[in-house]
Amino acid sequence: MIQREPLVTGNKTYQDISNDICSVVETKPGTGWWKIFFVAKGGFLIHLITIFIICAVGMGLQAVSHPIGWGTDIITFVFWVGIGHAGTLISAILFLFRQKWRTGINRAAEAMTIFAVMVAGLFPLIHTGRPWLAFWLIPYPNQRGPLWVNFRSPLLWDVFAVSTYLTVSLVFWYVGMVPDIATIRDRAKNKVRKLIYGVMSLGWRGTNRDWQHYESAYLILAGLATPLVLSVHSIVSFDFAVSMLPGWHTTIFPPYFVAGAIFSGFAMVVTLMVLIRIAFPHMKHYVTVNHLEVMNKIIMTTGMMVGYAYASEFFIAWYSGVEYEKYAFINRAFGPMWWSYWIMATCNVIIPQVFWFKAARRSIPIMFVVSIFVNIGMWFERFVITVTSLHRDFLPANWGPFKMTLYDFGLLIGSFGMFFTLFLIFIRVLPMVAMSEVKPMLKVGKEKNHHGGH
Amino acid sequence: MEDQTFTNSTYWKSIDEKYQNEGWRKVAENEFKNSPYSEFLNGTNRRDFLKLMGASIALASTSCVRRPVDHIVPYANRPPEVTPGIANYYASTYAHAGQGFGTIVKTREGRPIKMEGNPSHPMNQGGLSAMAQAQVLSVYDPDRIKNPAKQNENGEFEKISWDDLDEQVHKQLRSGGVVLLTSSLASPTTEMAIKDFFTGFNGRHVVWEPLAADDVMNGQEASYGQRVVPRYRFDKAKMVVSVGCDFFGTWISPIEHMRDFMKGRKLNSNMNKLVVFEPSMTLTGANADTRLMVRASHQVSVVMGLLYEIIVKQKASRYASDGQVLAALKKFENVAAEIGVEADLMSAIAKDLWANRGASIVVAGGLAGRTENAIALQIATNFLNTVLENDGQTIDATNIPVKSFEGSYAAMKSLIADMNAGRVKTLIINNVNPVYALAKKFGFEEALSKVQMVIYMGQHVDETARFAHYLAPDHHHLENWGDLELQKGVYSIQQPTIRPMYDTRSMQLSMISWAYQAEVGPARLKDVDSWLDYLKNAWKQKQSEVGSIGPFDVFWTNFLKEGVVDTSNRNGKRNHGGTTRKFLLSSLNKITKSKSDGTELVLFASIGQYDGSYANLSWLQELPDPVTKIVWDSYLMMSPEKAKELGVTDGHIVEIKTSSDVVSVPAFVQPGMHKDVVALAVGLGRTSVGAVGDGIGVNGFTLVQNQSGEPVFSAIPVTISKTGQERELANSQGHHWMEGRQIVVQATIKDYLKKADANIHKHKVFSIWPKYEYKGYRWAMSIDLTTCTGCSACVIACQSENNIPSVGRRFVIEGREMHWMRIDRYYVGDEKDPQVVFQPMLCQHCENAPCETVCPVLATTHSDEGLNQMTYNRCVGTRYCSNNCPYKVRRFNWFAYDTIKKPLNLALNPDVTVRSRGVMEKCTFCVQRIHVAKDNAKDENRTVKDGEIKTACQESCPTQAITFGNLNDPESRISKEHAQENSYGVLEEYNTVPMVKYRTKVRNTEHLASDHQEGGHS
Repeated sequence: MIQREPLVTGNKTYQDISNDICSVVETKPGTGWWKIFFVAKGGFLIHLITIFIICAVGMGLQAVSHPIGWGTDIITFVFWVGIGHAGTLISAILFLFRQKWRTGINRAAEAMTIFAVMVAGLFPLIHTGRPWLAFWLIPYPNQRGPLWVNFRSPLLWDVFAVSTYLTVSLVFWYVGMVPDIATIRDRAKNKVRKLIYGVMSLGWRGTNRDWQHYESAYLILAGLATPLVLSVHSIVSFDFAVSMLPGWHTTIFPPYFVAGAIFSGFAMVVTLMVLIRIAFPHMKHYVTVNHLEVMNKIIMTTGMMVGYAYASEFFIAWYSGVEYEKYAFINRAFGPMWWSYWIMATCNVIIPQVFWFKAARRSIPIMFVVSIFVNIGMWFERFVITVTSLHRDFLPANWGPFKMTLYDFGLLIGSFGMFFTLFLIFIRVLPMVAMSEVKPMLKVGKEKNHHGGH
Repeated sequence: MEDQTFTNSTYWKSIDEKYQNEGWRKVAENEFKNSPYSEFLNGTNRRDFLKLMGASIALASTSCVRRPVDHIVPYANRPPEVTPGIANYYASTYAHAGQGFGTIVKTREGRPIKMEGNPSHPMNQGGLSAMAQAQVLSVYDPDRIKNPAKQNENGEFEKISWDDLDEQVHKQLRSGGVVLLTSSLASPTTEMAIKDFFTGFNGRHVVWEPLAADDVMNGQEASYGQRVVPRYRFDKAKMVVSVGCDFFGTWISPIEHMRDFMKGRKLNSNMNKLVVFEPSMTLTGANADTRLMVRASHQVSVVMGLLYEIIVKQKASRYASDGQVLAALKKFENVAAEIGVEADLMSAIAKDLWANRGASIVVAGGLAGRTENAIALQIATNFLNTVLENDGQTIDATNIPVKSFEGSYAAMKSLIADMNAGRVKTLIINNVNPVYALAKKFGFEEALSKVQMVIYMGQHVDETARFAHYLAPDHHHLENWGDLELQKGVYSIQQPTIRPMYDTRSMQLSMISWAYQAEVGPARLKDVDSWLDYLKNAWKQKQSEVGSIGPFDVFWTNFLKEGVVDTSNRNGKRNHGGTTRKFLLSSLNKITKSKSDGTELVLFASIGQYDGSYANLSWLQELPDPVTKIVWDSYLMMSPEKAKELGVTDGHIVEIKTSSDVVSVPAFVQPGMHKDVVALAVGLGRTSVGAVGDGIGVNGFTLVQNQSGEPVFSAIPVTISKTGQERELANSQGHHWMEGRQIVVQATIKDYLKKADANIHKHKVFSIWPKYEYKGYRWAMSIDLTTCTGCSACVIACQSENNIPSVGRRFVIEGREMHWMRIDRYYVGDEKDPQVVFQPMLCQHCENAPCETVCPVLATTHSDEGLNQMTYNRCVGTRYCSNNCPYKVRRFNWFAYDTIKKPLNLALNPDVTVRSRGVMEKCTFCVQRIHVAKDNAKDENRTVKDGEIKTACQESCPTQAITFGNLNDPESRISKEHAQENSYGVLEEYNTVPMVKYRTKVRNTEHLASDHQEGGHS
């Protein structure tokens, strides 16, 4: 019988796993971490300052104008929500399908999801003209009339979709982390640490009963999270698909958006994992090249799916016979913003094709570069959809240009700053690999020199 | 204005407390006897009242910002004429440098807030130009002169009292050599007062304005021996030929011309026809049935060529055998080839003209006609009209001619000569700005230094005021009494609608005061208490003259009420064309062929800026030019060929060099320009008008050539060169071709008569949902693209009515302009010689409004009367509605536009919410007007009558292209308009069911077969 390649390499014992993973949380960060953290925090600060100025002065500081009502904010929102897909997909869907390779990366991927959705969730708020009243989008009995929300508006569906997704992902992530937090608590050497992790581990004792409850809860949550992976980006795509704008009004959008989201999410996971492997060399045993190769296969597959969507949009635009639709797509590829379309097509469809080669799939530098390109390409995909459709619509008199301002760049860069700040804090305070899930992957008892126990 | 550092309120207090003396107070208090605010003089004064109103406006307008309110006082002592919340309307008149309109001024709680056209005024008949409508803003202009002042050694204006000013001025005046320089006043009583003034003081009155119509007068004098500006009767003309004359845009009386012209624009075989020969693209040319591009220097040849066709080729008219005429025409045998017009087309036009003799008009003039050969153009045009027997039919010079244009450059020339010779000791300048509008080479500025005392009466410390020794600020016309006679026998009254904002004094009262103090002049001038008394005394004499009998008070009250006494229309006199005059054939000797080679510059007056006087009004600066759609800038219009030759595109700065001047300005590629013609607007490049207007664009007047005192505005030989610099132009329209879409549908009259819905591609649309049943009213609009000229009066009407902010050049470039009503202008056909179509675009109030379904907070909803409503308070500003609006008519408040510089906030309409930052807004169909009408109807227990509600755009429209009303009433005009076969909705195939429908643009190109672009929408 051909043995599968082991999911954890380096002949790790249970003790090794606990030590390897908890050490990141238990030791003081080195100068490298601090340097990266300050860069990320600088970005986060830019984010906060930009948001503050925009809220104080007005939306007009950004490139959005007449006729382009949505710009960087919505593009970046969809971009981050898309990235937020990979985590839950890895932990929930792959869990249900018993894909064991997920265990090395699921924790970090879920954390990425949470932070990506948090970063994304800010944008719909910032992009409103009066963000201090954005809570009016939430339906609850109120004293404003009472005024109710418009359930026909896709933006409202968006509010539900994203907030539900964030909540379920957060609970799922946290529940999965409870046994690991308990491990950290048990290893803690000072009282404060013990207290904090003790509270966070919700009284976990590792009894049989605990495990039984835990595993059924985890399964149920996985079952709950699975449809959300598909629904959230479908609903985000409704923001566009339900409108009547040529280039937006497209039935292919839900599957196309979900594929794109998985595509970009996996690319982001690859980017992060490669960086973690560089920063914490002992992580190479848990996040192996095998893991990365599997993800690269998914990136290539979903990349071709979005490529198919791009092609089919053009076909339908021609086949529909609607002159506005036709013009919108010709304008995308050959209009004044042709460059954005071709950046998108190159990054998303052409570059991932290198993964046909096994050497490329397993090459850390190549996959890192490709994953960055995919991230760039997916940002441009949303740019193409949002901006190039709006800038030339029905009445030519309305047509207008889109020129990004410093504030747009501030938000875009700042969103990365916020994301990395959160992620860097995460790897220092919570176990970035699911110890309790990785340990069963060891072939304990089948190999000679194990030390046993944990 | 460095000297006016004190605040308004302390200023007013100090005037009352410190400088008040018996005589002054008497005069000032009596000046506004009929003012609705005179009651305040005892208790609350108007200023306090305005302050209170200002506070409540601030409250009403800033719903989201909490501001401390110092004091609120109930409106306890209410004057009988004023009911809070109810608008008062006063008939008045507005005239500026010859162009005048009967107006109705809407006031609320003592503030003029809206100008409407006076429907009973025979000239504009309810229509009103953009410039006139912006006057409610100009009265509140924060940069107005606020007090009399004297210039000190440092060149600063120091505040002085009227008493001090009068003391020094009246002594100076007694030494003689007085000249009063004004623009055309058109006011019989003011002119009488000026005459009286000059019986007391030794001197004379000089009338000049930069856009004078003296070329027309000179031509009339040479041709007929009568110095007159005739009344052009476009309503009588079935065939109109304009040679470079923008009579729809800025020439003589454009509102009247448009209205009259459209009376003949009926969709039948009798439809009138407009042929325009022009060097650059103007509003008139854009509306032409057939437009032909000619060099500016070829305009004389065009007219003579038409004469040649009629007299020599067709041997028509009684001049066909006149040797003198034939000799004059000989040189113009082959003009069609020379000027680059198809010979067949030329003879077709001539044939049509001859066929419609007595019912045609040929017009030439305006700035484009003021070439070196301007007099020849006028004489040739007059002769053509005489040949066509139009004189005395469609051209009325004897019955009811235009009285409002009096200014002339000849008068200015003699004034400058007098000044240079030291014959002018005191120069009083009223509301004209020669230092700005007269190029330095005319020598006015230099001559000014030879005048002992210069007194400036105007609104702003402008370029001319800077040279004045004294500022004696005149009232704004909305603050002053007056009368006007714009056309012979058409008398109208100018009523003040607000007490003077500042310590200003009317020019007439200044003259009265000076005559009184110097104790000179006739008793009727020096012994009246106020200008109003003088005016009334004059009208007491005139009452019988205008055919009114009965007590004066009754006559006067009616005059004020109606705003107009029209003696021109007694016994249908107005409809009579006057008598046919004898044409002096000797004048034909003055006609020479102009030289033409190289590039020619044509200066033109734009609709927004006209002569530059109102450069400080943001509304007009931000009014997209009807043709170019550019705002807030000067630009050199040039043909695509010329631009290619120079290697420039939009925004590349080019240098214009004439024989004496150099100006640098961004280029703008304008389809439809003659390839050898470039055009630049005058009226910009002000340097001393105020915070808004200073430094916008370049001053085109500096390029005017001096032909021994006569100005040359057109066919100026220039060389254009590229500088390599760039400046982005603020164009409010993104793209100028329809890309084959069905947006504006055009048809020829031939096609229309065959099939009324010609060229409309109809779509079959269906819905699976049942339609909503509108039970009560259902409001809808129709816009007739045939009669819409694109003049843009509606844009300003909407802006004024609905408190729409201006955003400035930078933000127009960024696409943040706020106009609810915009005029889309598209080109059809060839880029070098396109047809032009206009389409007013506003909220379409779709029955299936795409904006409504996508708003997450229900801020935009549909009323049960079919209105698409916007609830500002509810809006959080997602802008989803705007994205989903296929017409993109929604406007977003990108910044806080509700902070308005005082006292401009007084121009706000209190019936319309001022929108805060971050909310969406759009056309409401003037819902506030609908509510007033419905309330009135309810009080009288009836339903709203058809035509009772007029939207602001509809009301101002000179050609009545807009119809509004209740679609549920089958008898209403709107129902009939919507039922017309050539009525269509834009983007109907999307089943938005727009409640605004357009009627196709129909052009009459009959007989002009060689016209190459007919119909279609490409």
